[in-house]
Amino acid sequence: MVEVITPQTPQWWKKPDVKKAAILWVICTAVIGFVGVEFHVRSMVRPASETMSGVINLMRIFTWAAAPVAGLVGAMCITVLTSKRHYGDNPPAEADHEIRNSPRATALWVVVSGILCLFALVTGMIVLQQDNKAVLDTQAIQVNVTGQQWVWNFDYANGARSQDLYLPVNKPVVFHITSKDVKHSFWIVQMGIKMDANPGYTTETAVTPDKIGVFDVRCAELCGLLHAYMQTKVHVVSQADYDAWLTAHAATEAGA
Amino acid sequence: MTTLTHKSVAAPGKSIIEKLNVFTALALGVITAVVVWRLSLAFLPQDADGATMFTREDKITLLSMCGWFVGFMTGIGALVGPFRWLMGKDLSHDENMFLAGQDMGPKRYLRYTTDHKVVGIQYLFITILIFFLGGGLAMLIRTNLGHATGGWIHPQAYNSIVGTHGILMIVGTIIMVTGPFGNFIMPIMIGARDMAFPRLNALSFWLIVAAAVPLMWGQFIGGISTGWSAYNPLASQAPLGMDGYIMYICIFAVSTMVAGANITTTVVKMRAKGMTWNRTPIFIYGTVASVALALPAFPVFFLSQVLSAFDRALGTTFYNTAGGGSGWLYENLFWIMGHPEVYVILIPAIAALMEMAPVFTRRPLFSFNVAIMGIAGISGLSALVWAHHMYISGWAPLLNAPFMITTELISIPTGMLFLVLVGTLWRGRLWMTMPLMSIFALLWNFMIGGITGIYLSDVPADAFLHGSMYVTAHFHYTLMGAGLTGALASLVYWFPKMTGRMFDKTLSWVSFWLVQIGFNVAFVGMFAVGLAGQPRRVESYAPTFNTGNLITTIGAYTIMIGMLVLLYGVISSARTGVKAPKNPWQAKTLEWTVDYPIPLENFDVLPIVTADAYGYGKAKS
Repeated sequence: MVEVITPQTPQWWKKPDVKKAAILWVICTAVIGFVGVEFHVRSMVRPASETMSGVINLMRIFTWAAAPVAGLVGAMCITVLTSKRHYGDNPPAEADHEIRNSPRATALWVVVSGILCLFALVTGMIVLQQDNKAVLDTQAIQVNVTGQQWVWNFDYANGARSQDLYLPVNKPVVFHITSKDVKHSFWIVQMGIKMDANPGYTTETAVTPDKIGVFDVRCAELCGLLHAYMQTKVHVVSQADYDAWLTAHAATEAGA
Repeated sequence: MTTLTHKSVAAPGKSIIEKLNVFTALALGVITAVVVWRLSLAFLPQDADGATMFTREDKITLLSMCGWFVGFMTGIGALVGPFRWLMGKDLSHDENMFLAGQDMGPKRYLRYTTDHKVVGIQYLFITILIFFLGGGLAMLIRTNLGHATGGWIHPQAYNSIVGTHGILMIVGTIIMVTGPFGNFIMPIMIGARDMAFPRLNALSFWLIVAAAVPLMWGQFIGGISTGWSAYNPLASQAPLGMDGYIMYICIFAVSTMVAGANITTTVVKMRAKGMTWNRTPIFIYGTVASVALALPAFPVFFLSQVLSAFDRALGTTFYNTAGGGSGWLYENLFWIMGHPEVYVILIPAIAALMEMAPVFTRRPLFSFNVAIMGIAGISGLSALVWAHHMYISGWAPLLNAPFMITTELISIPTGMLFLVLVGTLWRGRLWMTMPLMSIFALLWNFMIGGITGIYLSDVPADAFLHGSMYVTAHFHYTLMGAGLTGALASLVYWFPKMTGRMFDKTLSWVSFWLVQIGFNVAFVGMFAVGLAGQPRRVESYAPTFNTGNLITTIGAYTIMIGMLVLLYGVISSARTGVKAPKNPWQAKTLEWTVDYPIPLENFDVLPIVTADAYGYGKAKS
């Protein structure tokens, strides 16, 4: 792709190394895309919210978008490495050309990387906008989250307070997050949301759990001695179970 | 240098400068520190009742460390010159020649020597030392994380090890290319006799030595239990070791600024006749971009730590929300330095590999102009992306979108660097050496580091990935997989010019493969546990992360073996390696035109440059 067309040489796409690189490009792109996506998707936790499914999808899209670029670099490297290698203490003969640039290749490269960049931006922006809107949902369940060294406390609208988080399935939730001492970061792993807990400020994030089960809350910001142990569980339960739990705990709270 | 003869002082007998070396510096540093410590212990008033922080202890610690710093710098001789200027005089010619260190043997490496070649070797030595220490700490971390239930390090010590590993490696990687090679090779490469400010050069090196002591000191008074980012308010409640971190950063920031001003001036003003910007080697561009980027970044780092010291020692509340400040202020200041800094590390390493690419493919560098555009583009944009470290901090959710744009735009100039390297390899005659394979390794590692960077730059994906081991793996891929690879290649490439002997070929290959394979094993494992939900900086984890962590630990040990092989290679090759010819790689840059040992002012007759250094290749196509 860096060859200049001259009448003496065959057209650039007919040169053997270009052909070889082209075939390798297809193979590399397929392998990188497939391996990249499988590695990410299989390593990632099973999603427990649409937000998390969205994140996994984004990874899938970005990996496939990046695969052709990585594949091209890989294909060219393999083509080069599998030909004309020289071992020894003295340099090989100099190359049979002295091409210093190729405006066409450069322009193509920049335009394509610009388009890919734009694509990544637009895709990300759309999802970002949806996430931002979710925080404004006043119909959602509101939960106050307070981090302190090294536990999480959850306060519900009816006065209930717990250290394990309870949520009903398929209902939007907005978290209002703060901290009593240092910075923590509130991370519900399987739901793909995270927001720092800052002392003196309240930050918001929102999610709609879509699976019943028990999931992990971990602190994602180094917060001192027992940071590694600052974790708890989220119990996502049916609406009826949630209501029962909430009533029971509100009563305890009032009685205490 | 040699022309500085005006207003020279008569030097009866031995000048003060000739009596000073690292030992007088250590002695004076320790004495001053102890004196300041006793004095402050005796005279500082007690804290008021009810003061929650260790304000008085912080004051005493910081003052003692300042005492160490002033004593050390005086003892090494950094103040002799400025003091003479105050008196309206200057160093005599003899003294200047003494400082230049000609015919002084190994002792000049222990002095305030101004010769850029000596400073380069000093930098190389301290870089190796930092990597040895930082790498040792990494091995402690990985051993502790080898098994979920195997944690044998106390959490406080573990946190401190993580923080110290982080800051040591950050400093080590910042100086690993511009320090040894920027000082030793760069002036010869541009055909200069020395740096523009030789004494500043010595100053920048000895500041790093002076800085190291407070950091080590801090290890014994509570350690740096905050990670290398030292976020407030965690840092203001951290033990006294934090003061060591603060002093370390403040001194190191000055060192970086001094080196930055010096290197930039040297390149702008002292290039050989005929070396127009079009004929200036790409490595020079990389070095200048790196230090020029550090020039605005590090004062902010300095400032952030000064405010931190105020909060700790004087009871101010810059970072305390309850007192009208904000932790977000610290995060902003920190990352305004923190993001340009990763390119401070990366750019010279990649530029060094770009310099080697034409040499080992025997063809011209592909698209010199695009390479410069790429370097300039990255440098410019990197100043505008810092808040992508704060997407989920809650500081300014509205700014997430703009910062996402600037961050992802960086992929375009970064892509240009790939184009230049791949384009240079294409249809080259590969000369299979460790530096050449390092280019392939860089392309591989930096591709993975770059693409994972795109996932992280995306706000919704970052909401999942931020603060997880995925981030840790990502930046190791860029700083180590790309940066360190370039630095190791530079070491092998310029080793003959710096030591007069070739780097042992077999050892360079063995080390290369051990490091690269170990590296990829280690950090792929780390990507996996990050995706599975393991947070960063934890000393214990859920059993589900066992396998990935074990893989990472195995990879880390492989890297360690590879690095030890390399260290052995450095020592054995420098002592008994094959004597190197003047230009073993048949390269065309100026540093290969001087004989070893390189004379004090490099060139008898300054060279005149008539073409760029990439005139390889035969037939006109």
